[in-house]
Amino acid sequence: MKKKQRRRMPPISEGVVNVTPLIDIVMCLIIFFMLVAKIGVDTGVDRTIAIPASVLGTDIKLMDVPNSLTLNMKTGLANEPAVTALLKGSLAELKLNDGRGHNPLSESLKFFRYGQDLAPGGWGINADNPAFNVNIRGDREMDYRYLEPVLLACAEANVKTVNFSTEQVVERN
Amino acid sequence: MKLRVAQKVHYNAGPNMTPLVDVVMVILIFLMLCGSFVGSEHFLVSNLPISQSGLGKVAPPAGFIPDEPIEIRVDSHGQGQFIATAGKIQTSDPAGLTDQLRKMRLALNRAGKNEDQMQVKIGPGKNVKYQQLVQVYEAALSAGYKKVAFARSH
Repeated sequence: MKKKQRRRMPPISEGVVNVTPLIDIVMCLIIFFMLVAKIGVDTGVDRTIAIPASVLGTDIKLMDVPNSLTLNMKTGLANEPAVTALLKGSLAELKLNDGRGHNPLSESLKFFRYGQDLAPGGWGINADNPAFNVNIRGDREMDYRYLEPVLLACAEANVKTVNFSTEQVVERN
Repeated sequence: MKLRVAQKVHYNAGPNMTPLVDVVMVILIFLMLCGSFVGSEHFLVSNLPISQSGLGKVAPPAGFIPDEPIEIRVDSHGQGQFIATAGKIQTSDPAGLTDQLRKMRLALNRAGKNEDQMQVKIGPGKNVKYQQLVQVYEAALSAGYKKVAFARSH
């Protein structure tokens, strides 16, 4: 009968650092970061804005992000809000009045809602997008007089859903 | 003079892990620097961003019953405080406002109205801070209302 051979642990040699636990931990960290990080997806969020806090709220996973436009808002000059949004790959300022009789904010919202013709109906590049929604990331210290014209612009563009972005506060009992 | 320890060093202990560790560390640092993390932010969803008269050009259909309006007037009180007036009460406490709104909702429920037939209209002053509006908005949602909208400023 063959004698069962016992496996022996490799000899531990002095002077060699065992990197296996390090690799295990680093691999776990990499998997964690890959799962929770959103890389290369720029929604035009201005992280310098201090948004208000709330306990209630809907998680971003349940939001229709591909159909949304994020409006960063803070107090501007001359009773106008300073609004920026990601347009054509870069953060652009959207004024309520550009001095030439145009309202870039309203026109941008209508563009996303109604297509290139900025009017209801049409197909192709003029097709409507009823699922279009707006995420407002407003400065918590901003007055309502700055928010109001943006909400009116949303209503004018027939945007059905407006989401107010807030910082999540965990309620402690 | 030779050291005894140096003689015991055994380098042929398996595959060389150094390049792997280098690459993995670079990936880890890249992810830590470039990643934007979710979880600390969420959204208060509104299907009625602002309630106003005159903008809608479509006539209501026959038999249309308008929602029961519940109006909350919000004024700035200085030092980061607000005063919300709902029904007969005035409060600057979001929890107190939630209680009052809940009582109003229950009274409407008893009168045969459900939550889909009620609409909360938050009417803020021009100087009311956005943070305070979010608190009032949240109070209305906590009280069980489904339709909450902002009104024109006063």
